[in-house]
Amino acid sequence: MTPAQNPRLIVTKAVLWFLVGVAAVVAVVRFARGLGVTTALTDATPWGMWVGFDVMGGVALAAGGFVVAATVYIFRRERYHAIVRPAILTAFLGYLAVIIGLMIDIGRPWNIWRPMFHWNLHSPLFEVAMCVMLYTTVLALEFAPVVLERFSWAVPIIRFLRRVTLPLVILGIALSTLHQSSLGTLFLLSGARMHPLWFSPLLPVHFLVSAVGLGLGMVTVESLVTSWLYRRQPEWDLLRGLTRAATVVLSVYFVVRLGDLAWRGELGRAFDGSWFAVLFWIEMGMSTLAPVALFLRARKGDGHWAITWGSFLMTAGFVLHRADVGGISHIAVTGQVYVPAPTEVAVSLGIVSGLGLIFLFFVENLKVWEEPPPAVDHFTPAAMDPVSSQYIGSPWLGEGQRAALAVICGVVVGIALVEAQVESRRRSAARPIHPPRSAAVEVTPRADGKGHVFEVVSPTVPAAMTEAVAGGGLLQDAILIDSGGEGRLVLFPHAAHQRRLGGEASCTACHHRNVPLDRATSCSHCHRDMYRWTDTFDHARHVVALDQSLSCRVCHRDRNAARTRAESRACASCHQATPPHLTRVRTTREAEPGLAPGYEKAMHGLCLGCHREEEKGVAVADRSLSRCTTCHRDEFASDAEMRQRPPFTVVAATSPEPEGAVGGGVRGAAGTTGGSP
Amino acid sequence: MSTTTASSTRSFAILTDVTLCIGCEECVAACKKANKTGDDDAPWKWQGGAAELSSTRWTTIARTQGRYVRVQCRHCLDPACAAACPVGALYATESGAVAYDADICMGCRYCLVACPFRMTRYEWDSPMPRVRKCILCYDALTSGELDQPACTSACPTKATIFGEREALLAEARRRIEAAPDKYVNHIWGEHEVGGTSVLYISDVELTAAGWPEQLPGHAVPELATTVLSTVPATFLTVGAGMAGVHWVIRRRDKLAAEASAAAPPDPDHTDDEVSS
Repeated sequence: MTPAQNPRLIVTKAVLWFLVGVAAVVAVVRFARGLGVTTALTDATPWGMWVGFDVMGGVALAAGGFVVAATVYIFRRERYHAIVRPAILTAFLGYLAVIIGLMIDIGRPWNIWRPMFHWNLHSPLFEVAMCVMLYTTVLALEFAPVVLERFSWAVPIIRFLRRVTLPLVILGIALSTLHQSSLGTLFLLSGARMHPLWFSPLLPVHFLVSAVGLGLGMVTVESLVTSWLYRRQPEWDLLRGLTRAATVVLSVYFVVRLGDLAWRGELGRAFDGSWFAVLFWIEMGMSTLAPVALFLRARKGDGHWAITWGSFLMTAGFVLHRADVGGISHIAVTGQVYVPAPTEVAVSLGIVSGLGLIFLFFVENLKVWEEPPPAVDHFTPAAMDPVSSQYIGSPWLGEGQRAALAVICGVVVGIALVEAQVESRRRSAARPIHPPRSAAVEVTPRADGKGHVFEVVSPTVPAAMTEAVAGGGLLQDAILIDSGGEGRLVLFPHAAHQRRLGGEASCTACHHRNVPLDRATSCSHCHRDMYRWTDTFDHARHVVALDQSLSCRVCHRDRNAARTRAESRACASCHQATPPHLTRVRTTREAEPGLAPGYEKAMHGLCLGCHREEEKGVAVADRSLSRCTTCHRDEFASDAEMRQRPPFTVVAATSPEPEGAVGGGVRGAAGTTGGSP
Repeated sequence: MSTTTASSTRSFAILTDVTLCIGCEECVAACKKANKTGDDDAPWKWQGGAAELSSTRWTTIARTQGRYVRVQCRHCLDPACAAACPVGALYATESGAVAYDADICMGCRYCLVACPFRMTRYEWDSPMPRVRKCILCYDALTSGELDQPACTSACPTKATIFGEREALLAEARRRIEAAPDKYVNHIWGEHEVGGTSVLYISDVELTAAGWPEQLPGHAVPELATTVLSTVPATFLTVGAGMAGVHWVIRRRDKLAAEASAAAPPDPDHTDDEVSS
């Protein structure tokens, strides 16, 4: 049966190409916009699926390479020779997955060569990096003859490589030993955030022993999958031999894990009924107990199903172990749950799919198997016959066309996926502000003459008043600003500020933009969220107000420019109730008029700008005006507390500014709200 | 790069007295200004609460048990992040600060995984991200631009002060001895993870405020360093062992082949693997 008539293969390849297409889009966006929007990673969960699956999984995948190489070349079990080439190829592709995964995952991939020159011998990751580089080279050399034997000129090279096979194999085994265990060493540094069922000083040993089991499992799984794909008979005899070895390795692993727990006195935790104990037993059941039971059964009858199930379970179980050590067990300490974003899953699947396609390509075109699958189909795509005016040829798409179609579909899905992901990573929870409320304060001069004491008389009386009260104080209006949206109030003596800035005429100094017919629109009218930007510009309303059809050019004056906010006319050129030269407000995004920053930023910007200037020239009592504590006097004060507490000791400067000081001598006074044309 | 700062006599530190802090966040503002960290208000989910430690907020005030506890990088004497960094982009300096060189950083984020206090932050929204954390104003201090970190010079109540580590430890001990009823008799950072350069004294336990109970009493990198020191030996042992095993098995096969060539085939000598 040729691949052309094998729908299994056609569908599988189409799916793989599709996944490659999806991953390609995500990868492009990841490099353009960073990890934040393309992953679900946070500071609390800095490593996710790309490290846990592609890097850890890729290395685990490669375990089959050194196990089989050792079996054949060191222990001279020649009958396993048939699976050496697929195992080496799988290992090589596994390491490619590691490298591609790392290139996408690390934040500054242009520095990936740095470990070659900046050695930190104390870093487990440095050991990992070195092992990846060296072992990938060794695997490439081990696999090179398979590629080179197609070329006649390469005969001397192949002869040389065959001669150094044994040293290469030994080097590869030594490097693998280090590398597999070094992945465990990685987590010796993060003991403070791991559950004791997984953290152990013996982590390197856990990883090494399980890697041997995982290697045997991977070789079996890979053989079963490709056999299914190409409809050939798996080498059951060899596979049964592998499972026999796996039984021994798994038993050793089980003893090491439990013995280690018992020795550290943590065995009780495996039976404490917690979620992590359950997870531990699921992992041990999948990776060790069930496979051993199945393999022991397979020893008797033909037991193909037992070998199949056992191998798949064992592989999945050890992948789960990597995930547990790498992240899931951290939840016990950090309390932070990480669920991979769809885009992360897409990239991981895409990398695996791409390498799967390379594997299939090598299998079909090189002598990876002793008995290669039948030749690849070469379709003649349907074409119009000029003589008969009929379509001639196969109604099916050729292999290349199928691949292209699948990739295009993948790209389309990928774009949609990325868009959705970027949107979902925006902070969804808006933090609406609590608008400030009016209050009446009693103002009395301080005993030392340096400023005044403001005491909240009534937190509820809304009034604009300035009248003398008994005891030499003044009753003034003020506002209480809920500065964090959480009941921590800032007292803003409104009347005092108004007087200093020039009385009734000075509203525009702070109230820099007004809704129509309003003289002093309050800050909270436009700055409606604590942290997010608010769009205050109502385009539809302007269209109606400006004579419908011909109104575009009133604001979008330049015919050649794009009709965007940035290119349009400044708001203040029409809304002249906010004269630019009278306001002290400087806007931060003049290019995008109509966007009001978050309330916290707006209030800090408004108050601190003046306070910083004022503290330079004016003698202030006991603290500089721009300090946080000038306004944030008492963070725990709520309405109820406010009545019982001693008066606010807000201090103002004694020397009054001359009338009309607004705009004069204040840096940035000419800064405008919208930028005048 | 040196990792032997523990014994250095000129090792500087910060001492924070929780009882004096009024939570005004002057230190936060000063830090932001000195390090030009930018605003906290970008609308991304990974940024958590605006008042939490982030890539734009290298120090912040935690509010627990009615106290204000300043949060910042602990500047461990034997830092896990510096041991983790494969290229040494994060490194312990002679002055006690754990500093950062973005130019050689790969962005692997192993430092975020390794930090026992979880104080390192990352610029998730940038295509050229950096690791962000308090660096004890290392650059400004070495260039002479500042004579103490921006945060300590901004503190209005002297709740957080800068000085030589030994002197600050003595000062902490003096304060505890002067008011034993007030303070918990413990200097956080004196021994935890082998000692840190950011020390705390307090009238309440700080377990919930950045000093978790399960912190090891020894330096975090010790275990990994021990394992890594066996790497060359492991490499040689495995290599030599494999070569030896191969030699033994080949010789055995060779002798068996010679024996079987000399004598008629022996049914008992067949490989049991094959016969099964």
